[in-house]
Amino acid sequence: MKYDVLLMGVGGTGVLTTQVIIARAANIEGYYVRGVQLHGLAQRGGIIPAFVRFGSENEVSSPGIMQANADLIIAFEQLEALRAIYYARKDKTIFIINNHPLIPVYSYVLNIHYPTMDEIIKRIEPFAKKIYVFNVSQLSRENFGNVVFGNVMLIGIATGLGVLKLKEESLHEAIKITSPREVENNIKAFELGLKLGKEKLHKDK
Amino acid sequence: MDILEESGKKVVLLGNEAIVRGALEAGVGFVAAYPGTPSSEIPITFSRIAKKVGLYFEYSSNEKVAFEAAVGAAWSGVRALVSQKQFGLNVAADSIMPVAYAGVRAGLVIMVADDPQGWSSAQSEQDTRFYAKMFRMPMVEPSNPQECLEYTKIAFEISEKYQIPIFLRTTTKVSHSIGTVKLGELKKPNTKGKFVKDPDRFYNIQPHLQFLHDRLDKKIEEIEKEYGYKLNKIFLGEGKIGIIASGVSFEYVKEALQELGLNPPIAKIGLVHPISKEFISDFIKDKDIVLVLEELEPFIEEFVKQIAKDVNPKIIIHGKDMLPRSGEYNLEIIIPALEKIFNKKFIIDFKNHKEIVNSILKNIPPRKPVLCPGCPHRSTFYAVKKVYGKDTIYAGDIGCYVLGIYEPFNMQDYVISMGASVGIAHGINIVSDQETVAFVGDSTFFHASIPAIINCKFNNSKAPLVVILDNTVTAMTGHQPHPGSGFTGMGDKVEPIKIEEIIKAIGAEMRIANSFNQKQLIQALQELRKIDGLRVLISRGECRLLTTRKFREKGIEIPKFQIDKEKCTKCDICIRDFACPAIMKTIKNEETIYYIDLDMCTGCSVCMQICPEGAIHSIKKR
Repeated sequence: MKYDVLLMGVGGTGVLTTQVIIARAANIEGYYVRGVQLHGLAQRGGIIPAFVRFGSENEVSSPGIMQANADLIIAFEQLEALRAIYYARKDKTIFIINNHPLIPVYSYVLNIHYPTMDEIIKRIEPFAKKIYVFNVSQLSRENFGNVVFGNVMLIGIATGLGVLKLKEESLHEAIKITSPREVENNIKAFELGLKLGKEKLHKDK
Repeated sequence: MDILEESGKKVVLLGNEAIVRGALEAGVGFVAAYPGTPSSEIPITFSRIAKKVGLYFEYSSNEKVAFEAAVGAAWSGVRALVSQKQFGLNVAADSIMPVAYAGVRAGLVIMVADDPQGWSSAQSEQDTRFYAKMFRMPMVEPSNPQECLEYTKIAFEISEKYQIPIFLRTTTKVSHSIGTVKLGELKKPNTKGKFVKDPDRFYNIQPHLQFLHDRLDKKIEEIEKEYGYKLNKIFLGEGKIGIIASGVSFEYVKEALQELGLNPPIAKIGLVHPISKEFISDFIKDKDIVLVLEELEPFIEEFVKQIAKDVNPKIIIHGKDMLPRSGEYNLEIIIPALEKIFNKKFIIDFKNHKEIVNSILKNIPPRKPVLCPGCPHRSTFYAVKKVYGKDTIYAGDIGCYVLGIYEPFNMQDYVISMGASVGIAHGINIVSDQETVAFVGDSTFFHASIPAIINCKFNNSKAPLVVILDNTVTAMTGHQPHPGSGFTGMGDKVEPIKIEEIIKAIGAEMRIANSFNQKQLIQALQELRKIDGLRVLISRGECRLLTTRKFREKGIEIPKFQIDKEKCTKCDICIRDFACPAIMKTIKNEETIYYIDLDMCTGCSVCMQICPEGAIHSIKKR
């Protein structure tokens, strides 16, 4: 078995912490884990694609995800969800998108239109089995006073929807070791996401 | 911390962290480094744990002195590791070859990270494996984090056993990949040694030189014999087509073959220099075709071709004829090559899929890396451009400020290597009358710019204006200290070395300005522009990421700014010319509104200073 998760985010917004949480949870459950983290200049507001792959050791070896092969794409920013279609295909890939625009400064400087959420979804559809949209940045601000807890909320949502097949307790454990300073809020954010995911799943049935 | 967990535990580590763990399991006592992507997490991790585990760690002012310090430790009997990116090795190279001749006492591992594809904003796709060949030194190359740990330990073993410095080489997708790692026993570091004089060993001069050279050649032959089968592995399979792979390519090909349902024999190369002739001969002697997989140059492929002439002249050797010589490999590059060789069809047509993707992504805005909101460099670039205009030659260098290469600044007309901004500008000044401004970061200044600035003064060119962007740390690689920062890699406070004192000693005309004060910057620049000869502006302003982090830790509220809709005339200067990522515009009820994203604003106040209408002001705390 192998499961490929792509986290698409913008440098400096906590993508790597999210990746570490998923990787550690998978490790706690005894899966073999591989992935890629880009460090350095990419972290200065550039695109950060973070890969996490887990499964059995004899099936998972490449650190990166193959083109058109992601099982799950979690996009922290809506435009980056669109850019991720390189890794997606219609019969396989689930998208979870945070519809909170971070408009790149070059959109203004080079005068290139930043697409609307509707335009983005229309273009992603041919590459997606299913698309879920949540505004976790806003939810995070409403509940915690700033946007940073949106990341963990997305992990909760993916778990609640049943598309990130990891156990709640191993994710709790991973959150505790990864962000010891903000455990309480992170667990709350995860639980909130979990609830939202489960509700959405129930509604769709 | 995962890297200090007990033996037997399985944890997920970054390749670079696994190298640190491997060094700890080998009992390393001395570590020195200059940070550089993709190697930086090695020194970052050592810096965090040095005091805890009781080893010595230092950030050196450049890679050459880092290497020399490590040699001093290894010659005195303390196991030492030095870490750098590929270009760092170029700086250290001058000292490495003579040390290969002289040899070492305790193990000395030289970690070097290559960066195919240039993720780190690299200036070339250097394949560092050729150094091993040129210097007649052993080089091992792991494929994943587990091997990063094991190979680091083996590297210390080889180095000590044969009294030779050894290269541990990675590429980005090994250093920056994560993977499950099973930990071994930690070893208490030995940090105390003694240097014993030994003319037979340390006299790298004639007539002794040939003796040292011959001895080095002998060591390499013996290492090839002993480790040719230990570090290279054959995986048996079916058929007459074989695969030879090293580094991360091995990880890709294993999975690619599985996807295609193929099971050919594979030879994995872990000892990339010396290449074991015996091992390669064994593998290729009964094959019809082999495919060699390695990123960048055909380093292994050329060895295989040489060996094949004697062993199996009829064999067909594929490699760079089918796969790119530039950039990284991945599954979608390797699978089509396997499809051709094995005459097999994969379920996905990558080419077609990519064409559709590209057509859909054609007109979306790029998201290139940018100077952070509140970056002091943005403010300096803005002021320099205001005074010097767009036709001046802007010499670039290595650091976050390389991002000044993009719109709207376009103020890095060339970026070559650390220190080269001033070095090249001097040559331009000698042969042309054009004005030049050379940018230098603070860490870059200490690393490689001092000789170049001295050279300008010594040879009395009309000299560029040197702008030293002093943000107090080595920001780009993660806020490591440099000689001017006031603290060491061990976290100890030290007297900072003052850049202005060095500039004074050189005898340059100098001004110092606060990076966040446009008025000061512009005044200093205007004054300096009127002076002939060597001029230096030190633009001083702490990296804003560091400032906001300190604010958060101390519970100080980060100031925020906002745009007064009544006063804003939509002149677009704050976006078009200043390009702070926190400043946005949106259309509401058919009207364009400029606003500052409060999550992103770091309160540097420069936008307020540059707004011609005075429409930007700080948000008063209630």
